[in-house]
Amino acid sequence: MRVSVARLAGATGLRNWIFGLWLIALLAPVAAWAGHPRQLTQVQALVMPDGKPAFAESLQLPYHWDRRNPGQRGFAEFEIPFEMHDPLDRPLAVYVPRLGNAYEIWFNGTLLQKNGDMAEFNGADFAKVPRYLVVPTSLLQQRNLFHIKVRADVGRRGGLSPLFVGPEAKVHPRYVGDYRLRSTGTLVVVVVSLLVGLVALSIWATQRDPTFPGGADGRDALYLNAGLAEICWTISVANAIWDHPPLDWPWWGVLTAGALAAWVGSMTLFCMDVGQWRGRAWARWLHRWVVLEVVATMIAAWWALEAGMPLALTVSYAVMGLTALVFSLAFVIAAFRSASFPQRAVAVALVLNTLVGLRDIYAFRLSQDLAGTTYLRYSSVLFGLVLGYIVVTRFRAVAAQAQELMATLAGRVAQKESELAQSYQKLEQLASERARAQERARVLRDMHDGVGAHISSAIRQLESGRSSQAEVLQTLRDSLDQLKLSIDAMNLPQGDITALLANLRYRLEPRFAASDIELQWDVDVMEPVARLDSQGMRHLQFMLFEALSNVLQHAEATVLRIEASATDGGAVLRIVDNGRGFDVTAPPRKGLASQRERASAMGASVQIASQPGRTVVEIRIG
Amino acid sequence: MWQVLIVEDDPLMRDFFAASIARRSELALAACASTVAEAKAWLDQPEHVVDVLLVDLGLPDGSGLEVIRHAVTLHPGCEPLVISMFGDEENVLASIEAGALGYLHKDSTPDDVAHTILEMKAGASPISPMIARRVLSQFRLMNDRAAAALPQVAPAEPVVSGAPRAELSQREQEVLELISRGYSYAEIARLRAVSVHTVQTHIKNLYRKLAVRSRSEAVFEATQLGLLARPGR
Repeated sequence: MRVSVARLAGATGLRNWIFGLWLIALLAPVAAWAGHPRQLTQVQALVMPDGKPAFAESLQLPYHWDRRNPGQRGFAEFEIPFEMHDPLDRPLAVYVPRLGNAYEIWFNGTLLQKNGDMAEFNGADFAKVPRYLVVPTSLLQQRNLFHIKVRADVGRRGGLSPLFVGPEAKVHPRYVGDYRLRSTGTLVVVVVSLLVGLVALSIWATQRDPTFPGGADGRDALYLNAGLAEICWTISVANAIWDHPPLDWPWWGVLTAGALAAWVGSMTLFCMDVGQWRGRAWARWLHRWVVLEVVATMIAAWWALEAGMPLALTVSYAVMGLTALVFSLAFVIAAFRSASFPQRAVAVALVLNTLVGLRDIYAFRLSQDLAGTTYLRYSSVLFGLVLGYIVVTRFRAVAAQAQELMATLAGRVAQKESELAQSYQKLEQLASERARAQERARVLRDMHDGVGAHISSAIRQLESGRSSQAEVLQTLRDSLDQLKLSIDAMNLPQGDITALLANLRYRLEPRFAASDIELQWDVDVMEPVARLDSQGMRHLQFMLFEALSNVLQHAEATVLRIEASATDGGAVLRIVDNGRGFDVTAPPRKGLASQRERASAMGASVQIASQPGRTVVEIRIG
Repeated sequence: MWQVLIVEDDPLMRDFFAASIARRSELALAACASTVAEAKAWLDQPEHVVDVLLVDLGLPDGSGLEVIRHAVTLHPGCEPLVISMFGDEENVLASIEAGALGYLHKDSTPDDVAHTILEMKAGASPISPMIARRVLSQFRLMNDRAAAALPQVAPAEPVVSGAPRAELSQREQEVLELISRGYSYAEIARLRAVSVHTVQTHIKNLYRKLAVRSRSEAVFEATQLGLLARPGR
């Protein structure tokens, strides 16, 4: 028995070294003991299993109730006599790593400490926290007696560990070191696991990627498994420091055993996701096997804790451990063949946790050691770290992808913009080319019908030698007037007939004055006619000029009247003279033909009514 | 007798205008010039007297506008008339802004030329409906711009208001509107129950305001650009 404890202590020391630097902070006080306090192991015990006769025996601590009374509950009383080696004027410090599940500590007939109900089984569990007390000097004698009573439930690691006694300076550091390792450290692990679990679950719940091949709903099962594993682990580890669990024993024991199995199972599935083994044929079978293990473990736990068959749970744990071991080996081999860093990191964590887990199974299910701690709770933090690493790298990849996408998108937008600008430029170019072509056509027509026509007739007049100088002069003046009107037409506001008439009057006024024709002006103020564009304005100007020229040259009139008024959406213009008139049915003169042509081009109509003393040219627009 | 200076590079046209002037006893030919430099040199002589300037815009060594500005600066009593082929908006407006009080067409008859000069000396200036329209819109535009710019250029205000303000009176605006609609001076006088002479005076005042406006606007803009120091600063 002593040998096995010593070997275990050696193995524990070796593994402490493996766990990594962060554990050193917790373990430092343990290593820094200032000498070893006295350890009391020799006891006289009275064992009272529930429903069985009591018996007395002399034995060595630790007293592991479940090992000595498998499937039993009951009470035990221990008497531990010891002699003081130190002076009596200093208080005696006592440290008990583990006792319970409920207990009373008596010293020389005085009750020093009591926790829990000694009569009621399956209540709160006070064995989880290491106990430290100080015996006042008034109670100290040369020969002393500890009297310790415990109540133990089935499969709840009840009993009594060896006692450490001595001066406070020697005992207290040891207590603090154990306390940190068992309680404070565990609390840290619980908080970390809970946090990691919640983060993983919320990632699973909120992050959907429709292109993800795994789940039909686009969620990544990797996060679900990691989250479940961490939550189960939180329950399982919290059990180690939770005096008052929410469920009565043994149901709480069944639940925590199930949580432990679920942790192992979820972790296995998580590793499969990391290794991308989901598609493998055996993956489904492993999945089922893992679920089966969880159920089997809970049944075995019930069996062990309620029916008193601890071997069932041990076997179940062993099967689970073996499965994990085989899976770990396969995973490790695959990991070191692949180049994926996360997979390798998981493999390292897996190997470490499997080894630690096997050690814990031995320490808790097989050895007689009572006060030990599971180290799995600490080694498991590695999984959380690896998960964090995976999350970070994945998000970094996604962010890089998004950034690349944005860059591509921006590039495309810029390209489209430049294409658009180019086509817009082309359109503008086409429009300006068309405008230029129209303008050229207009100028050509003006030259042809106006200046060109007049100059060529002036040339003909001079060549024939029959025309008078006055006639040639008139032709040339007409030509210059036409030119001025052409230039004015460029600046006329579109559709403004009033402005057009005003300008025409201004240009031709000197000629009316020279011909002694009285001009009567009856022009209303008109809104611009929308349908009259610059081309139309020019046509109208030309038609009016022709009509007025005819009056000037042929009519021999004394009064010329210009009327203009607005009609609905258009205008009507009349040029009335009191000249000699002409036959409107006779073959039309060249000027008149041109008038009609222009009128139809601008969508207007020309009516001419003539009799001696009254000729009316009416132009109706719109 | 009005002393007339002719600045025209085409000898035929120069002779035509000289002959037109010679027909009337009220007019005398002071001198003829065919380039900007020549005209400026003549104007620079203080003993030279000039009442009327006839100037072509397209001269071999520059624009007739330069001669107009030079003349109105050195001889405040001089009234310039621009010789224009077409009487088109751009050239006429630019000339008026430089200080011209009217324009002559190159195809005018000799009687017309003399008549226009004497009319101008009597207080009348010719204006076409299109130019009237353009002047109206320019004054409106300027008023809008001044209204918009006023709040933030308050310090520049003395510069503009220090010079004679170039604003149209109600009556001038009415006259301009009627002209742009094609009414003759006589018709306008009848419609507004004033004399033809009053209408003509309005037009001439308008021309002076245009010249003033263009000058004060140049000062205003130069001040805005920081080319001129603001007085009182």
